[in-house]
Amino acid sequence: MLSLAARSGALSPYLQATNVAVNGSVKALLPGAVKGDSLLKSSSKKAPAISACVSAPGGIRMAHTDIKVPDFSDYRRPELLDPKKSSQESSESRKTFSYLVTGATAVVGVYTAKTVATQFISSMSASADVLAMSKIEVKLGEIPEGKNMTFKWRGKPLFIRHRTEKEIATEEAVDMAMLRDPQHDKDRVANPKWIIVIGVCTHLGCVPIANAGDYGGYYCPCHGSHYDASGRIRKGPAPLNLEVPYYEFPDDDTVVVG
Amino acid sequence: ARDQTWVCSDASSSPILLSLRRGQATVTYAQSLLGAPETRLTALDNGLRIASEETGHSTCTVGLWIGCGSRYETEKNNGAGFFLEHMAFKGTKKHTQMALEQQVESMGAHLSAYTSREHTAYYMKTLAKDLPKAVELLSEVVQSNALSEADIEQQRSVVLRELEEVEGSLQDVCLDLLHATAFQGTPLGHSVLGPSQNARTLSRQDLVDFIKSHYKAPRMVLAAAGGVTHEELVGLAKQHFSGVSFEYEDDAVPVLSPCRFSGSEIRMRDDDMPLAHIAIAVEGASAASPDIVPLMVANSIIGSYDITFGGGKHLSSRLARLASEESLCHSFQAFHSSYSDTGLLGIYFVTDKHHIDDMMHWSQNAWMNLCTTVTESDVARAKNALKASLVGQLDGTTPKCDDIGRHVLNYGRRIPLAEWDARIDAVTPRMVRDVCSKYIYDKCPAVSAVGPVEQLPDYNRMRSAMYWLRF
Repeated sequence: MLSLAARSGALSPYLQATNVAVNGSVKALLPGAVKGDSLLKSSSKKAPAISACVSAPGGIRMAHTDIKVPDFSDYRRPELLDPKKSSQESSESRKTFSYLVTGATAVVGVYTAKTVATQFISSMSASADVLAMSKIEVKLGEIPEGKNMTFKWRGKPLFIRHRTEKEIATEEAVDMAMLRDPQHDKDRVANPKWIIVIGVCTHLGCVPIANAGDYGGYYCPCHGSHYDASGRIRKGPAPLNLEVPYYEFPDDDTVVVG
Repeated sequence: ARDQTWVCSDASSSPILLSLRRGQATVTYAQSLLGAPETRLTALDNGLRIASEETGHSTCTVGLWIGCGSRYETEKNNGAGFFLEHMAFKGTKKHTQMALEQQVESMGAHLSAYTSREHTAYYMKTLAKDLPKAVELLSEVVQSNALSEADIEQQRSVVLRELEEVEGSLQDVCLDLLHATAFQGTPLGHSVLGPSQNARTLSRQDLVDFIKSHYKAPRMVLAAAGGVTHEELVGLAKQHFSGVSFEYEDDAVPVLSPCRFSGSEIRMRDDDMPLAHIAIAVEGASAASPDIVPLMVANSIIGSYDITFGGGKHLSSRLARLASEESLCHSFQAFHSSYSDTGLLGIYFVTDKHHIDDMMHWSQNAWMNLCTTVTESDVARAKNALKASLVGQLDGTTPKCDDIGRHVLNYGRRIPLAEWDARIDAVTPRMVRDVCSKYIYDKCPAVSAVGPVEQLPDYNRMRSAMYWLRF
């Protein structure tokens, strides 16, 4: 009603039926019509009263008692469809239902939000191809016994050595007290036949040479560190044993490092 | 023993200034409670009840209270009771309108009537000695109304005019709309006035049918208060009201079915109005419920306020203090309309368009306080205020007569002031908290708003304010 009145400009006093309440005097629907007849006009003569407001939505309401509250049965819960039944009895159960549904939705919503947030944030971590670069798969069958093979892994040299029985026995028999960085051979290998270490000298980072040195393992030419066949430091300036990376054997013939 | 006090013109020897009771009333509160004469109740053979209180005044109010109202009407005849009230004084079968008016005027009496949702009353205020004439006229008005076609047509325009005029009384509009939305789809949602369409189309037959279905002796009470003796009144009733029917056609006794309360809202927005009238209510207690008294005490805690109050920040009601200090509203009142099986417990306020949000917030805050943290001093103060208002309202024969009529219809007997007093005394803060939580806490309210109500919060916000997360 209000927007219509605003747009109609000159006609607005005649279209604002609610003005009647404020001013206390009845504004005639048509100029020259008798004061106080507005309700009666529509009862006796149809044309004048209604034609002035034919463009107004639904016509003009005269009394607040004419307002009909619409029937909301389509939206009511079943317990409240009967207007002759008090709403108090079903009140508990309705509230319980609403709060349970709200609570469950909240839990699901929080979990969903957490999942979405985690997915977005973890998308900033390393991608699959980068992660793939972090692993290397090696066919062990190509490495003959007694031989050490070098691979490039994560930018560093990776030594995989197929040890002989003699070497295994020797390394297992070494006394801990003699080692600068005491570690038993069993703790450095998963399968004693294969020693897998990172080929970076723990002294200052040079690459040791395989099958060299006094202990049947590796020798670093930079400052003369000797490592044994288990990659442990025996002689020289290096403080620690060669690093053993994480690896696993998906089957007997393959190892995945990283 | 009552002290005899008298005032002399010579102030220096005036006993009242020297007496120990100086500054006190001559009648204590307890005496005023117990000193009220008992209301006597008898019933005629046809079920019509007669109740009276003999106060010894030289005037009296006598009337007929009938247990029918807009709640008994259907959509098609909504407004019949109100129309009938208009027709009531337009002449009976024995007296024309002129003759009736002349009879009443020559006695110097006032004849009036009111219709509400569950009660209708026709009553007369007159000198005590004119009681017989008054009862005779009342019996004619109720039983043998002329209901002439010409008068009906003429009254149509009067009713329509009254419908237009009531639009100006925004408090009535707001509370009518509150009932319409709270009890939507049920007879309690009908306004007493009825829609304008019915005012134009109700026929004489509709009115006759209405009388036939509802003006029955068991639903009527002849009440009187003033200088009347009960025996005289009973005699007059036997003489004039024995003929009132007590049987229904087809034995169809109208039974009131419960009315469903719907938490809902209705907004009649008009930005041209200067003030917004807003009412928020929850389903309350029925008239005969034991929770009535704690709820009355709770309403007294919230109290009422008008911008003309001078208390300022010293007003006792917290909401009134806030209203005064922050200019939250022009007026507010806590109300409780109770019907035979349900009720509306709410707060009505009038404010300008920039303070609606705050006023609604603090009103609901006051409700939450009632449910959770009401204190001993709040309750003590409210009990006193309630007792004072209950006693103070009955300050004439007409309020007393009205009280008698409504009580007998609602409760079957008159509840004496002493009983109200005892029930009020029995209220404790814990009781107020429990009862208020039962009716208010986390319940869906019904809201009605008229005027520039843009600032009124969304219904979901108001619903959320009906509980506190801190509990």
